[in-house]
Amino acid sequence: MQNRKKIFKCMLFVCALFVLAGVFGGVAGKAKEKKTFTVGFDAAFPPYGYQDDSGEYVGFDLDLAQEVCNRRGWTLKKQPIDWDSKDMELKSNTIDCIWNGFTMNGREDKYTWTDAYVDNSQVVLVSKESNIKKLSDLAGKIVVVQADSSAKEALVGDDATKENKDLAASFSKMQEVADYNSAVMNLESGAVDAICMDIGVAKYQTGKHKSLTILDQKISSEGYGVGFYKGNTKLRDQVQETLNEMAADGTVDKIAQKYADYNLPECVCIGKNTDVKETTSAQKEKVSKNTDSDTAQEEHVGFVGKMKQGFANFGNITKQLCKGFGATLSIFFLTMIISLPLGLLVTFGRMTKITPIRWITKIYISIMRGTPLMLQLLVVFFGPYYLFGIKLASTVPHYRFIAVIIGFSLNYAAYFAEIYRSGIESIPAGQREAAKLLGYTRGQTFAKIILPQMIKRVMPPVTNEIITLVKDTSLAFVLSYMEMFTMAQQIAATLTNVMPIFVAGVFYYIFNYLVAFVMELIEKKLNYYQ
Amino acid sequence: MSISVLEMKNVRKSFGSLEVLKDISLNVKEGEVVSILGPSGSGKSTLLRCATQLETMTSGNLSYMGETDPKKMMPYYGLVFQNFNLFPHYSVMKNITDAPIHTQKRNKEEVYQQAEALLKKLGLEGKENAYPCQLSGGQQQRVAIARALAMKPKMLFFDEPTSALDPELTAEILKVLLQLAKDKMTMVIVTHEIDFARHVSDRVVFIDGGVIVEEGKPEDVIDHPSNERTQNFLKKLQRG
Repeated sequence: MQNRKKIFKCMLFVCALFVLAGVFGGVAGKAKEKKTFTVGFDAAFPPYGYQDDSGEYVGFDLDLAQEVCNRRGWTLKKQPIDWDSKDMELKSNTIDCIWNGFTMNGREDKYTWTDAYVDNSQVVLVSKESNIKKLSDLAGKIVVVQADSSAKEALVGDDATKENKDLAASFSKMQEVADYNSAVMNLESGAVDAICMDIGVAKYQTGKHKSLTILDQKISSEGYGVGFYKGNTKLRDQVQETLNEMAADGTVDKIAQKYADYNLPECVCIGKNTDVKETTSAQKEKVSKNTDSDTAQEEHVGFVGKMKQGFANFGNITKQLCKGFGATLSIFFLTMIISLPLGLLVTFGRMTKITPIRWITKIYISIMRGTPLMLQLLVVFFGPYYLFGIKLASTVPHYRFIAVIIGFSLNYAAYFAEIYRSGIESIPAGQREAAKLLGYTRGQTFAKIILPQMIKRVMPPVTNEIITLVKDTSLAFVLSYMEMFTMAQQIAATLTNVMPIFVAGVFYYIFNYLVAFVMELIEKKLNYYQ
Repeated sequence: MSISVLEMKNVRKSFGSLEVLKDISLNVKEGEVVSILGPSGSGKSTLLRCATQLETMTSGNLSYMGETDPKKMMPYYGLVFQNFNLFPHYSVMKNITDAPIHTQKRNKEEVYQQAEALLKKLGLEGKENAYPCQLSGGQQQRVAIARALAMKPKMLFFDEPTSALDPELTAEILKVLLQLAKDKMTMVIVTHEIDFARHVSDRVVFIDGGVIVEEGKPEDVIDHPSNERTQNFLKKLQRG
């Protein structure tokens, strides 16, 4: 009976926590005034938004946003997001706009847009050595697009032209990748034949990879705008007004000059009377000129050369990854501290004689083990808004991080609970019987007799689970939490080099080696009895 | 006239449709040593588990020293298990002293002195800090006996205390039981060892099919059994 009360109390406590979080969120929401302008961007998208060598988020779009904020007296918050989640982020109010080389064409009705400020066209990136010289040569080839990108939209989207649809149909396969960096790695390694992408990014890639070139023929011409949540015209008008001022006094051009390497000055179209077609043809000339000069200048940089480049950056990469590693560690330790005891509570629920609690716990464990952790993280972060209309994400400070920890802890607690249960059930019934005859209460029996023996028995599977947790922390990327692996991917995109990902791997390995070492020490310590 | 420590009246126990104990009554007087014999599946272990409240009787009455409240009877008896069931993560000393200190709330000093005396009596001097896994089976069983005795029970039950031990170690335990019998400890012993029963007990109870088939002095029941089932059982044992 006492045990039941305890379990009930614990459950109440957990419920109270959730309620408190809600109340706190509500209060925080009211107290906060709209002074922060949060820009959502994909941090692996140079030159519009990316990490520089010191780990700062920079880029043309972020500079523009900063200037807009300066002029309006707002505080700019740069929020890197997972590109696939951009609509959810916008809808749940965690970001005010998407400002990130965001193609308007084909998305006209999905967002409230500013005018186009950059003209961008969709082009095809291929290897110089390939025999693909025009669009029709793409027939029967494997072509890559980024998931949910404007290139994909232009090829197979609802508003795609018939020509483009036919073109896409002629490919042997259209493969989707998460980011351009891995697309380029695919292309260089010969795994795919071509990439369809934005011209700005394509040029950046040809600048870094001399073996690649851009086809003269384009898939489409299009413009970049700032996307707001559909109907948020008030904020759009404010931003548009300031942008127009900036274009009129030449500030936009000045900022674009910083990114001249990417041909940005030529692409800027805000405040200029050129129509898209003219710009496109003007660009076409420049593109071919550029590729010609590239061919003349550079030899093919082989794998070894690239590794050398990577090693030159090694120190810098390590320094940046260290920052991300701190985030990884905080996910890891907080999840452990919460989920290890929480798992015990779940075990009690799973083993109680009170049928409803046992069933609820069973369902909970079943869901946690039966669905991907990635999905659970998304549900924790976006669920409060989509299910209950509570905007926790924008009102509770650090909710992104809190959601990561809640998601991980709930998931791991379920696994730990089942491990604990197997440990408890493997202890001979005679231990409980002996304890009963010696007058121990049920609580004493658990704390003094069962728990210590259970801990020893579950050490090997718990170690396994903890090591998995170290690696699973990288899943926090779906909520765009900047842990080490997300950071490594971003740096890799900026450097167009896989070195950062290797370094991240080394970090994981070393840390897991330490974890295994510590767990082994604990196991040895518990080995004083059999 | 000595009084009854244990009184079991018309005890029945069923597991589902299987009736394991069919109306068993058993009285054990103070200072008496009773051996329970019987083939496997006869219900003797179940009888012990009902007497020690590890199983709940289906019907019948149970009392210790006239006490019938199930919770209040607990301190009157102790049980020594077939496979010892020592706590593997506790040292010998802690195995013996932890329950008296924490469940009986007795004075630490006194409990430790008693434990030392018990260890000495059972030939376990110097093993205070050893862990069960470092001891032989016979030593472990003696620790289990010490643990049960430290609770100062009125009587002790033994559930086949030697069946996990080889003959040499069995002799060790027999010696301990004889000594306890000399000290007038009330004991009920479930066993397969005929010699054991003959040497230690004042009374032998033969159980088969969930009923008491025969009971009496060891020399009568073991050497001149009147019941056919007892005769068959003993014959088989002698042959084996």
